[in-house]
Amino acid sequence: MTPLQLSIAGVVLLLGVGLYGLLISRHLIKVVIALQIMVKAALLALVAAGDAVGQINLAQSIALTVIVVDTISAVLALALIVQIKRRTGTLDAADLAQLRH
Amino acid sequence: MTPSLILTAIGAPWVGALLVWLIGDRRPRAQHALAAVAALVAAGAALLLLPAARWQTTAEAALRLPFGPFIGDLTFVADSLAVFLAVIATSIGSLTVIFSAGYMAGEAQLGRYYALVLAFIGAMCGLVFSGNLLFLFLFWEVTAFCSYALISFYNDDPRAVAAGIKALIITQLGGVGLLVGILVASAYLPDLQVSTLLAAFGDLPSGMLAVVAFGFLLAAMAKSAQFPLHIWLPDAMEAPTPVSALIHAATMVNAGVYLLARFYPAFAGVAGWTTAVIVVGLASVLLAGLLATTGHDLKRTLAYSTVSQLGFMVTGVGLGAIFESQFYLFSHAIFKALLFLGAGAIIHHAGTRDMRRMGGLWSEMRAVAVPFLIGAAALMGLPLFNGFWSKEILLETALERSLVVYLALVLGAALTAFYVARMCWLVFFRASEAQGSRGAGEQGSQQHTPLATRHSPHAILLPLFVLAAGACFAWLLAEPFAVWMQATLPFHTAWLLPHWPVEELISAHTAASLSTAVVLTATLLSVLLWAWLARTARPGRGATVRRAIGGAEALFNDSAAAVANATRGTAAVLQRTQTGQLNWNIAGLALLAVALLLLVLLGVV
Amino acid sequence: MSLHVLLLLLAGLCAGMAVRTRPLHAALWLAALSAVVSILFYRLGAPELAVVELSVGAGLITVLLAFAISMAEDEAMPAALVPRPFAWLLVVVAGGALLWLLLPALPAVRQVAADAPFVAQVWDNRQLDLVVQMVVVITGVMGVLSLLGETRAPESPAVEAHQ
Repeated sequence: MTPLQLSIAGVVLLLGVGLYGLLISRHLIKVVIALQIMVKAALLALVAAGDAVGQINLAQSIALTVIVVDTISAVLALALIVQIKRRTGTLDAADLAQLRH
Repeated sequence: MTPSLILTAIGAPWVGALLVWLIGDRRPRAQHALAAVAALVAAGAALLLLPAARWQTTAEAALRLPFGPFIGDLTFVADSLAVFLAVIATSIGSLTVIFSAGYMAGEAQLGRYYALVLAFIGAMCGLVFSGNLLFLFLFWEVTAFCSYALISFYNDDPRAVAAGIKALIITQLGGVGLLVGILVASAYLPDLQVSTLLAAFGDLPSGMLAVVAFGFLLAAMAKSAQFPLHIWLPDAMEAPTPVSALIHAATMVNAGVYLLARFYPAFAGVAGWTTAVIVVGLASVLLAGLLATTGHDLKRTLAYSTVSQLGFMVTGVGLGAIFESQFYLFSHAIFKALLFLGAGAIIHHAGTRDMRRMGGLWSEMRAVAVPFLIGAAALMGLPLFNGFWSKEILLETALERSLVVYLALVLGAALTAFYVARMCWLVFFRASEAQGSRGAGEQGSQQHTPLATRHSPHAILLPLFVLAAGACFAWLLAEPFAVWMQATLPFHTAWLLPHWPVEELISAHTAASLSTAVVLTATLLSVLLWAWLARTARPGRGATVRRAIGGAEALFNDSAAAVANATRGTAAVLQRTQTGQLNWNIAGLALLAVALLLLVLLGVV
Repeated sequence: MSLHVLLLLLAGLCAGMAVRTRPLHAALWLAALSAVVSILFYRLGAPELAVVELSVGAGLITVLLAFAISMAEDEAMPAALVPRPFAWLLVVVAGGALLWLLLPALPAVRQVAADAPFVAQVWDNRQLDLVVQMVVVITGVMGVLSLLGETRAPESPAVEAHQ
C-alpha cells in the first residue's frame, strides 16, 4: 500500500464512523460532533491528496477555508441548540419533527 | 477620474441606503433629505461621465479590481451604452426620490422604502457599468430583489404581496436563463469579461451559442415584461407610484433591452434569434396595446403601455437598429416617468386609481395636467416632442428592413394614440358625476380637504416640470448621442446608423418622409376614432370587444396560475416523504450516496 | 510507515469513542481526534494547517461544545430511530464501495506542477475565498449574537397556567 492509499483508507474509516454517528445519534450535540468527525475526514483527504500531487500549499489553503466555514457552522449549530433547549426543553432530534407543523 | 465617478454612481446610493435605514423612522425629514442627497450625488457623478472626451471614456475597462483567476477581474466599463443608462437611472431616480418627499410624506416605514429605492439605483448603475458577466448577473438579481420588495412595500395588503411574489418568480425565471447562458459561455471562454464574449463568441459551438443567446433572451423577456412573460408588470402597480415610475417604467424594465442591445453583436448570427426577438417584440406591442385600450385602472393602463413601448425597443434591437432602439428607450424613460409621476399626483388627489371615478380634473389640477398632457403627447408621438423623433427614426429604419414589421409597428402606434386619447379624456376632460360629489365633499367634510390641498406641494411639482421640459427638448441630444455611441462601442459599429449620416437624424428630411406621414395619419385617425366613439357612446356598446380583450388578459393570468398550481400539487405529493426525522433524513442521504457509488461501480455513468 | 498506520488507527479509535460516549466525553474524544489529525497534517507536510487545526479544532470547538453542553445539561436519550443493524449495513456498504472505487486508482497519482508558497496561495491566489470567508465569519457572528441575544423564553401556556 502506498502512503496515499493508507491515508485514504483512514479517511474512509473516519467517514464511516461519522456517518454511523449521524445515523444513530438523537442527541443534537452528538450530531454536531459526528459532523465534525466527517469534516476531519474531508480535511485529511485534502491534505493527503495535496501531499501526493506536490501541491501541499494549495491543499493547505483550501483546507483553511474548510476549517473556517466548518467552525462557523458548528458555532451556529451550537447557538441554535442552546435556543432549542430553551424553547422546547429537549435536545432529542426526534422531537424536532414537531417543527414541521 | 472615471473610476471614482463610476464608484460614486454605484456607491453613493448604497451608502445613502444604509444611512437612511440607520437614521430610523423617527426622523422622516432627515430621511427625505438624505435620500435626495444620495440620489443627487449619484446623478451628478453619472452626468459628469457624459463629457466623454474629458475623461477619455472608451470601451476599455475604466476600473479593474483583481478577483482571482477563476472569475476574472471585476471590471467597470464606462462606454456610452453604460453611461447613458446610468444617467437615466440616477437622474430619474433623483427626481423620483424628490417626488417621494411629497408623495410618501406621512407614510410609515420610510427607512425601508428609501433604502430599497436607493439600493435599486446603485444596483442599476452597477448592472450597466459592470464589464464582468458574473457581476452583471449579481446586480441583475439585486435589482430584481429591490423590485420585489418595493412591489410588496405595503406588506399588509395581500394583493401587494401576491404581486411582489409573482414579479419575483417571473424575473427569477429570467435570471435562471441568464445564469445558464453565462455558465455555458464561461465553459468555452478564457474569462467572464463582457468584451471577451463579444470578441470571441465564435469560439463557442453554434449549438452552445444558441443556448446562451436564447437564455439571455429569456432573461430580457422576463425583465422587460415581454409577451408572454408580461403578466407581472400590470400587477406590479400595487407598488407606491414613484416606484412604478422609477423601476417599472423608466429603468429596471429597460435592463432587458439593454441586455439584448449589449450582446446583439454576438447573437445576431444565431439562427432564428433575431426573428424570435422581433416576434416577441411585435407580439408585446400589439397585445399590450390592445389590453391598454379597455382597462379602467389608470396605472394598469400605463403599465400595459410600458409593455407595448418596450416591445417597440425589443423589435428595434431585433432589426439590428441598436441606436434607434436605445434612443427610443431614452425618450420613453423620460415621458413614461413623467406620466407615472403625474398619475401619482392625480391618484393622490382623486383618492382612487379608477379612471371612471375621475374626470374633469383639468380644471382642478392644471399644474399637474399640463405636464401630464405633454407626456401623453410624447407617448403618442406628436411632432416636436421627444417621442416623435425617436419613433420616426425607429420606424423609418423598420421600413427599410421589413415592410411587415413596419406595418405592425404603425398599427402599434395607432393603438397607442387610441388608448392615450381615451386615458386623457377620461381623466381630465370628461364631465363626471364624481366631480360633483367630490366638490360637495370638499365643502362639507373636513376629511376630504387635506387631500385636495396637498395634491401639489413643490416636491411633487418640481420633478414633473423637469421631466416635462425633458419630454419637450431631449431629442436635441440625438446627434451627440449617436456620435458618441459610434465612438465608444467597437463591437456595435455595424449596427449604429450605418446607412444614415448623423447630421440628418433630426432634420426636415426625417420629419417630411413618407413614413412620418403614414404614422401621423394613423395616429390622427385613431384619435378621431376614439373621439367619434366617445361622442356616440351608448351604454352596452363595445361590450363584446371589451369582454374579448378582458378574456385575453385573463387567459394569460390563468395559464400562469395553472403552471403554479401544477407545481404546488407536485410539491404537496413530495412533501409526504419529508418526515422531519433527522436520522432518517441522513439515512436517505446516505442511501443516495450509496446508489450513486454503485452506479459508478457498475459503470453506468 | 507503521507510525502513519498507527496514527490513522488512533484517529479511528478517537472517532469511535466520540460517537459511543455521552456528550461531554464525546467532546473530549473529538479534541483528541483533532490532535491526532493535526499530527497527521504535520507529517504530511502541512505544518501551518496543523497549527490551525490544533488551536481551532482541539481548542475552540471543544470549549464551545463544553459551553453548549453545560448550558443544555445532559439528558438521557431513548434508543435510536434508525435500527443499528441497518446503520451498520449502510456504513459498511458505502465505505466498501468508496474504498473499492478509490484504492485501485490511487497509485497512478503523480506529482504535478510546482507549488506556490503557502502565503502566496492564501493571500494572492485565493482572494475571492478570503472575501467570502470574511463574509461568512461576519454572518456567523451576527447569527450567533442574534440567537444568543434572544434570552427571553417564549411564554408557553402551560407555564402560565401553572403560575
